[in-house]
Amino acid sequence: MKLLVCVKPVVDLETMPGPHYLRSGSSGNGTTRYRINNFDEFALEEGLRIKEACPGTTLDVITVAPQNAGSVLTRALGMGADHAIHVLLELEGYVSPSVVAHLITQRAKEAGYNLILAGVMAEDDMHAQVGPMIAELLSVPVATAVVHQAVLDEGRAVYVEREIEGGEREALELVLPAVLTVQTGINRPRYPSLSKYLRAKKQQPETIHAAAQRAIDPPETLLRVTEPQKLRTGLILEGTPEEKATRLLGILREKALIPEERHAEP
Amino acid sequence: MQNRSILIVADHAQDKVKPAGYEAIACALQLGSFHQLRVLAVVIGDQPELPAQEIAQKAGLDVIAAQTPGLAAYNGELYRAVLSNLLDELDPAYVCAAHSSQGADFAPGLAARRGAACITALERVSFDADRVIFSRGASGGKLVAELISTARLTVITVQPGAFRSEFDNSSTPGSIEVRTVQFQPKRSRSLGFKPGPAGDKGLSEARVIVAAGRGIGKLENLSLIRDLAAAFPRSAVGGSRPVCDMGWLEYKSQIGLTGATVSPELYIACGISGTAQHVAGIRDAGFVVAINSDPNAAIFNAADLCIVEDLTTFIPTLLAALHKQP
Ligand SMILES: Cc1cc2nc3c(=O)[nH]c(=O)nc-3n(C[C@H](O)[C@H](O)[C@H](O)COP(=O)(O)OP(=O)(O)OC[C@H]3O[C@@H](n4cnc5c(N)ncnc54)[C@H](O)[C@@H]3O)c2cc1C
Ligand SMILES: Nc1ncnc2c1ncn2[C@@H]1O[C@H](COP(=O)(O)O)[C@@H](O)[C@H]1O
Repeated sequence: MKLLVCVKPVVDLETMPGPHYLRSGSSGNGTTRYRINNFDEFALEEGLRIKEACPGTTLDVITVAPQNAGSVLTRALGMGADHAIHVLLELEGYVSPSVVAHLITQRAKEAGYNLILAGVMAEDDMHAQVGPMIAELLSVPVATAVVHQAVLDEGRAVYVEREIEGGEREALELVLPAVLTVQTGINRPRYPSLSKYLRAKKQQPETIHAAAQRAIDPPETLLRVTEPQKLRTGLILEGTPEEKATRLLGILREKALIPEERHAEP
Repeated sequence: MQNRSILIVADHAQDKVKPAGYEAIACALQLGSFHQLRVLAVVIGDQPELPAQEIAQKAGLDVIAAQTPGLAAYNGELYRAVLSNLLDELDPAYVCAAHSSQGADFAPGLAARRGAACITALERVSFDADRVIFSRGASGGKLVAELISTARLTVITVQPGAFRSEFDNSSTPGSIEVRTVQFQPKRSRSLGFKPGPAGDKGLSEARVIVAAGRGIGKLENLSLIRDLAAAFPRSAVGGSRPVCDMGWLEYKSQIGLTGATVSPELYIACGISGTAQHVAGIRDAGFVVAINSDPNAAIFNAADLCIVEDLTTFIPTLLAALHKQP
């Protein structure tokens, strides 16, 4: 079988305030640090498990990203992917999921993958669109939020369970080729192996220039990024940690949320 | 836009329209009144009549009841096929659905098939001169992205809980058109449902829930959460999804969209960022306290009391203060 796993580089918000698309239009050779979208680590691990279970399977990873986000491909190769594809964007910033899906589909069509895995959603944009869009553009079936899968009949079909509201599961069978979007918790993603990682660092990924591809016009544009409205008008406690703790206990006591017996000691 | 319509796809189960379905209608009505567009609903299923009647009565919309023999529940392939045919016929300006396990499954593909814009998990629409601005959460709800559609058709999924739906049966009931649609999914087969992990009675009965997020950092710090919970009678420990994914807590303790929905009097969120999927499970909590080291964490937008501290040092301080109460 031939597998493709889609991995999105996301900016580590802990090291970088504001999302990457705030700086839309900056050059892609900057210093932004990227890591693999958390959901995609689960997708990649699931792909690696299929590869290990079905001899003769190859696993490619693809990312649509600016130059300096290519490091996520090194990590994916370090985890065990066979081949990395970098669809290179000139600039950092917001890219429509429809455009990403078209770019991935163009490359996927050439290769004829049996199974394409993506994450349920990107942690930054949170669209949850790219996987099901690729399926539609390839005219193949899709299952979203997959928490269990088993390839059947030597790669002719796949049995999946997808997660729905309240943790309930819906079972279905898809004829391959197909696309699955993988939910977290389906497995425990492995760490890259050192030897594979060191080898990967010397490898050049296959590079495709996005600008040279047949592109679609993005059907939506990002106007701006703002701060959310508050659902509740929360009181922010100020002071030292001790003062905050005392304030908190005082408020909870006023609301009778703290047991009486605790402060009724003699 | 003139003479075009808005098509809402109603989420339904067991003959009833789900609340998220009405919220999608509420969103569609906002768009409809801005553009002066007619709003029309479609219910797809084996027996769509009852939900269709409910919508026609409650919301006063005209409804197409697309009867698809043999479709016991949801099937994405079938939904996309039925809807795509309807789009050929109606050419609406918008399609609205709930951002549920169904809407999120069929909407992006439908948009891709039609070359439409796709706006998922929509939280707010606003109107600026002659254009519509779509606001949706990004980066775990820390930010809001405002988007504009430039396509002829825009497919929208509406974030559950974001739009208020109050329908009082006061409008004139809409009409219902029943159509039978024969379609057999060719590449996918629905095989029914399996229950999720059995609910945690402790969570549903607790007066106080202390919940751990990925911010606890390591398994050992779960003892801080347990100690804090132990300070309250009738308390329970819950967690966010990653904490359960890592095996630190069992899945029955997961709170949120794909876990338990809880309604304790007091909810203390420790090291939880506060994404919409988590907050969906705590809407009915009485009083929400959030402890998070990031002052911009989205959980602070859903909390009554915000404590910007490192939980690994703050919880011990809190426990110490609790134990030396006057
Ligand atoms: C379809 C779908 C369904 C989902 N269902 C659910 C669900 O039911 N329940 C659920 O929870 N999630 C669900 N999720 C996942 C959800 O989107 C988030 O990924 C998840 O809730 C994040 O968990 P978290 O807040 O624990 O982790 P993170 O988002 O990683 O947040 C950790 C937080 O801890 C803070 N922190 C770090 N260190 C400290 C410290 N020392 N002291 C204090 N604070 C600290 C950080 O500032 C951060 O805000 C779902 C996702 C999808 C796509
Ligand atoms: N730029 C990208 N490059 C590669 N894969 C992507 C990209 N954007 C999204 N994906 C894939 O699509 C999934 C859903 O992303 P999104 O639709 O943006 O929420 C991600 O988990 C990835 O698997």
